Amino acid sequence: MFKESKLLNEKYYHVKHKSGLNIYIFPKDLTTSYAVFGTRYGSIDNKFRFNNETDYTVVPDGIAHFLEHKMFENEDGEDTFAKFARTGASANAYTSFNMTVYLFSCTDRFYDSLEILLDYVTHPYFTPQTVEKEQGIISQEIRMGEDNPGRSLLYGTLQAMYEKHNVRIEIAGTVESISEITADVLYKCYNTFYNFSNMALCVSGNVTLDEVVAVADKILPEQPEIKIESVYDKEDAKVFNNYFTKKMQVSKPLFSIGIKDVQIIRDTKERMKKSAGMAILNSILYGKSSPFFNELYEEGLISGPLDCWNEHNKAFSFTMFSGESNDPDEIFKRFKKYIYVMQNAGIHGADFNRCKRVLYANTVKSFDSTDDIANNFLNFIFEDGDIFDFVDIVSQIDYNYIMDLLLEMYKEDYYSLATIYPIEVTAE
Amino acid sequence: MSVRRKQIAESIFLNIIETDKFKTNYISVNFITRLDKQTASLNALIPMVLKRGTKNFPNIAKISEKLEDLYDASLNERAYKRGENQIISFVSSSLNNKYSLDNTDILSTDILSGIIDMFAEIIFNHDEFKAEYVESEKNNLIDNIKAEINNKTAYAVTRCQEVMCENEVYGTSPFGKVEDVEKISVEQLFAQYKKLLCESIIEIYFVGTCDFDDLFKKMSNIFSYERKNIIKLNTNVIRSAEKIKEYTEDQPVTQGKLSLGFRTGSVLPDGDYFKFVLFNELYAGSPTSKLFMNVREKLSLCYYCRSVPEPIKGVMIVSSGIEVANKELAQSEILLQLENVKNGVITDEELSSAKNSIINKYQELSDSPALLESWYIGRMLAGLTDSPEKAIEQIKTVTIDDLIQIAKKITLDTIYFMNGTLKGGNENV
Repeated sequence: MFKESKLLNEKYYHVKHKSGLNIYIFPKDLTTSYAVFGTRYGSIDNKFRFNNETDYTVVPDGIAHFLEHKMFENEDGEDTFAKFARTGASANAYTSFNMTVYLFSCTDRFYDSLEILLDYVTHPYFTPQTVEKEQGIISQEIRMGEDNPGRSLLYGTLQAMYEKHNVRIEIAGTVESISEITADVLYKCYNTFYNFSNMALCVSGNVTLDEVVAVADKILPEQPEIKIESVYDKEDAKVFNNYFTKKMQVSKPLFSIGIKDVQIIRDTKERMKKSAGMAILNSILYGKSSPFFNELYEEGLISGPLDCWNEHNKAFSFTMFSGESNDPDEIFKRFKKYIYVMQNAGIHGADFNRCKRVLYANTVKSFDSTDDIANNFLNFIFEDGDIFDFVDIVSQIDYNYIMDLLLEMYKEDYYSLATIYPIEVTAE
Repeated sequence: MSVRRKQIAESIFLNIIETDKFKTNYISVNFITRLDKQTASLNALIPMVLKRGTKNFPNIAKISEKLEDLYDASLNERAYKRGENQIISFVSSSLNNKYSLDNTDILSTDILSGIIDMFAEIIFNHDEFKAEYVESEKNNLIDNIKAEINNKTAYAVTRCQEVMCENEVYGTSPFGKVEDVEKISVEQLFAQYKKLLCESIIEIYFVGTCDFDDLFKKMSNIFSYERKNIIKLNTNVIRSAEKIKEYTEDQPVTQGKLSLGFRTGSVLPDGDYFKFVLFNELYAGSPTSKLFMNVREKLSLCYYCRSVPEPIKGVMIVSSGIEVANKELAQSEILLQLENVKNGVITDEELSSAKNSIINKYQELSDSPALLESWYIGRMLAGLTDSPEKAIEQIKTVTIDDLIQIAKKITLDTIYFMNGTLKGGNENV
């Protein structure tokens, strides 16, 4: 299949490969080519079954991330990085709440590198010794995270909002939880989630459909489609706690305000529309031209822009924004009042138009690097969506839709405040 | 990708990298001056105050509205150091006019002209600084300086540099010190602003596509004012360490941070710095480097162990996050791997992997306006003009013997250790 966007001046190809893998090719005339090979499997998938299994399998927290690390080891004893070093590609991988992605970028010998990527991700090799070695490395990654106030703030917000949903669990797990991981459990997870029907390959750059398919033909065996069922516990609409706090080595208190949303929309286009709508609403409410930001900044209540994030996918949905302030409680109070006033007085039409333009512009700008293209593309695919549709969806959003979101998504029961306060200095 | 360089006025250059492969145009204006502890805070504060408001756009809300109207053009300020130079920049990325097609089009001018006007507005359109803006940005700058501790990984590198170069200009932070910021007055700041405009070297970069004669004309108009006492760049290089300094500080964190500060003996102006670049890649720069393969993969002591080299000053900080109890083990392994390079324990495969990795990184530069600009500013500071393509040809010629010679020049100067005093786990303090 071939699809084109005249507005973006971009196009892509899609093939369902005979192995069962969906492959997307996004030709782009840049020097760097980029490939992502991902699976819909992240830290939230810790209770699952496949096909007609009678029992659910429950696995230790952090295992998807652990598995990602372990995929870099191979039966021939050679590390995957060493293989990529021969072709000159720069390789990496990441695990998020809902996906695991293996990637490389290169400026030369793309198809040789693609062969390495497809090969190592389809050949797991774990032994008790290599699992133990990785526990040391990942323990240090976890410790580094524990000392990172931004990360503690993020999980603090999620743990305040959510009582049961796995999005409250740290992606890398804990030193204790990963100590329970064995080679056998890793194989079980691999064999469940690393099935082509649950995966996708996206490539962007100076590449052709035929040559990518030729590499896939060579490396990928045919796999029967399987049915995976991941179980996430149901959440109340109300937040679990409206407050979370922790003390750490920071110079000044950090705060984050989370707005919980349990209304996950099943229809793909409607879900994308809501995601776009929430992005526009965020930029109206908390952006650098917003009255809220400017008031707090001018009063010295915050010292920089509000860092905003909204997430609306098949498994979870929330909005959060964060910053630094000497008085987080005052920010929380002002936030509630601000929302109340905006809900009653309404958004200015001019602000709506401007912030809609902001989202449009940022979507267009994301087509300037093969890295962004391939990663964003994969995100949309795993949400059953299409990145080209997103631009049209943005253009169709009207003022009333944004006002409705403001009224529906913002209720006092949905708010949590998370703070990180400095450790008091005690006399030595 | 080559750069066209055109002089606008004394020590003011417009550098154009012409390409139509992006949907955005990138512009930056860089004021380059000497790093000096007397003026570091003043210079760092200037762009923060300029961004608070101008004669036509009196506050952040007005400036932000205008930038958002220009299809969310960014216009960010930053202050940083390279070698013993302080660089104050305004950087913008804006949508090419071709894509301004959505149904909210309310522009009366094209995006690029609009953003150039905003550069002029923010940099020049001030008769005075408002006292309240200066006070408020002083507080923000102080917050930023104090907040360096929040990022332990970066802090451990910065602290090692500071301890190592405490008696050198390079030991000065590009933001200065809290007590320097506190002392700044409105008049003093405004005077320093005028001085920065007059005396600094100004490098303007454009990456993208436009009518270049028109761009040159517009920039020439904006930067037409009296220039005098233009500064001379100078970085004092210490080629080798005399004795090893050790510095440990306790912090209430769970992970220890080890930073080893080295004098590299090699700097970019030497002309053969590409040999050091390759050494660094092989020793500490990639996932097949000696440090990654041994400190992380073989001994499983850490998640990261990498180096931060400074090409103008000739220092390199090797940094890692480890269990506190493993400090000696990690330190001796990092040093052992350096000794191995000095002794020629290098395989042909390691050499070719390092070359492939660097060549790939250099080729990728052409897809990133910001990285391209960073490359050329670095070259300019070293008195060089060569392109990444030229550097690739040099990289290809490096031999194992070259690496041994380069490694032998490297000496350990400072051992910095952040001693984590907390036990692990998610305990509340």
